[in-house]
Amino acid sequence: MVLSIWEGAYRVIGWRSWVFPAPSHVVDATLGMLNVRTGFGEGIGAGWPFAKEQSGREEGSWYGSPLIRAQVVSGVRLVFGFSLSIVFGGVLGLLMWRWEGLDKLLGPLFLGLQTLPSVCWVPLAILVFGINETGILFVLVMGSFFAIAIALRDGLKQIPPIYQRAGLMLGAAGWRLYRYVLLPASLPALAGSLRQGFSFAWRSLMGAELIFAVKKQGLGYQLAMGRETADVAQVVAVMIVMVVVGMVVDRWGFAKLQERVQARFGLG
Amino acid sequence: MFALPIENYQLKGLGERRGMEAGAVRSGELKAARRLAPAELLRGVVRREVGRGMLEMRGIEKRFNSSRVAVLTGISLEVKRGEFVVVVGPSGCGKTTLLNLAGGMVKPDGGEVMLDGKAVEGPGPERAMVFQDHGLFPWLTAASNIEFGLRMLGMRRRERRDRVEAALRMVHLGNFGEKLVHELSGGMKQRVAIARAMVMDPAVLLMDEPFAALDAQTRTLLHGQLQELWIQTKKTILFVTHSVGEAVRLADRIIVLSAYPGRIRREIRVELSHPRDFDSPQISELVRLVRTEIEEEVNRVNREMAGDEWKPAASAHLGDGFVDLGGSI
Ligand SMILES: Nc1ncnc2c1ncn2[C@@H]1O[C@H](COP(=O)(O)OP(=O)(O)OP(=O)(O)O)[C@@H](O)[C@H]1O
Ligand SMILES: [Mg+2]
Repeated sequence: MVLSIWEGAYRVIGWRSWVFPAPSHVVDATLGMLNVRTGFGEGIGAGWPFAKEQSGREEGSWYGSPLIRAQVVSGVRLVFGFSLSIVFGGVLGLLMWRWEGLDKLLGPLFLGLQTLPSVCWVPLAILVFGINETGILFVLVMGSFFAIAIALRDGLKQIPPIYQRAGLMLGAAGWRLYRYVLLPASLPALAGSLRQGFSFAWRSLMGAELIFAVKKQGLGYQLAMGRETADVAQVVAVMIVMVVVGMVVDRWGFAKLQERVQARFGLG
Repeated sequence: MFALPIENYQLKGLGERRGMEAGAVRSGELKAARRLAPAELLRGVVRREVGRGMLEMRGIEKRFNSSRVAVLTGISLEVKRGEFVVVVGPSGCGKTTLLNLAGGMVKPDGGEVMLDGKAVEGPGPERAMVFQDHGLFPWLTAASNIEFGLRMLGMRRRERRDRVEAALRMVHLGNFGEKLVHELSGGMKQRVAIARAMVMDPAVLLMDEPFAALDAQTRTLLHGQLQELWIQTKKTILFVTHSVGEAVRLADRIIVLSAYPGRIRREIRVELSHPRDFDSPQISELVRLVRTEIEEEVNRVNREMAGDEWKPAASAHLGDGFVDLGGSI
């Protein structure tokens, strides 16, 4: 609805596409990044919506297209960085829950750091690690592991003490108590913290990629490219892709995980 | 089928002092005997080991943090092997604390807890507990909950499975093993919790108001099943409740706790043979007598908690099978 009004207004008023693109231009740009040439944004006439003339650029397969490549690069970084975040955040969350002193020390610090937008880590990362993959990972981890640690600590704190007592009564002592009682008991909280951690991680990664210009080019870099070449349609297209990817992973990945855990526990 | 000695049942102790006549109620006992599950069900679940299960508490003192009044003071209690002891007392008098002390989950500030002559150091499977609100693990199925303790012992899968199966049948939940905890009714949850404790073959079974949250019918059903289970396994049971009816139905001996501070007020022996017919007039008579005995104590507690204005209600609902001490507080 909104889209059709937008498109209609564009066609009637005749905005210039390099200032503000119509949806059809965005579709063109998106498909263009997938190595499919279309002409949705052209005037409707014979042959629409196929591209009028072949540009000088070489045609490639869809899987070799810039968008897919960028997606893969970003995806790999996300998996690595997010795993690191889970490990750091998990260990710290556990330690903070276990030792109140550490919690008193780190808790306020982490809450404070959470308010810091993750791109603010970029200058530090550049100075410490240089412009490379490590720098990007650093920003990603910094941007998301606090969230995981805090959420896990809160989740562990909410475990009813009766589970611990029942576990001890049934002979689950030492590490077994952690592995077989406290870990599963904290699953609902853990799923929630992963979900939150992911959204932080995704945002941090996009921000970092936007600024870091390293050899391997992720989704954020495509956004920067769009700016460089003043291709507004591409900028909007990449933004939409970012939102869609983030939402899809959240909805079909982490939200599903959370739902399943909650169903098992009979919550909600 | 079990061959149970059918004895004359007697009201001794309290009943005798009140001049009650002892008499035989055979039909009720026979009916109850027919309900018993075959002994094979328990094979593999419970070793009938002798010489286990004597619980002693000597001079227990317990206060929390900097609280002025002790929660429990001067508690000395001996539960003999195979005995079914029920502790009754008003809400907040320290019943759960008493069980936690026996379970080793709470340390006493004074005195000692001993099981079969050895000091209790911490929680462990030889003192299995059935909690007030079941405490089953919601991420496991009923069967896995029962299996949990055996897994912690490192028992092999095959052996575990057999025992879990037997334990499920023992609490009449043979077909519910694969259900998740939240899919079970309140009564079923408590039965799973009992099975989870029993499968560990504990020396004593500690039960903290396990049926308090259930409706009267379910409670009666489970009283029957628990009694059955106890007759078959000869476990030592320390059972806590605020319901006098429950205490009289199940107990060999009733310990009455007072509140603020919690100390043992009275000890009442219930010398009715097992299995008992819960509907027998003798039971209701005994309930009434025990209740009168402890009403005084409840009134005292109420007076102290409400100030001087409080007056005891004129002996309400006499002869009622269940009297909630806690409910009136
Ligand atoms: N961990 C604790 N810290 C401080 N006070 C406690 C703690 N546990 C229990 N208490 C106090 O000790 C008293 C006895 O508690 P307890 O749970 O043993 O009572 P109860 O007889 O089991 O009551 P109910 O019938 O309601 O279950 C209460 O006044 C309670 O406030
Ligand atoms: Mg209690």
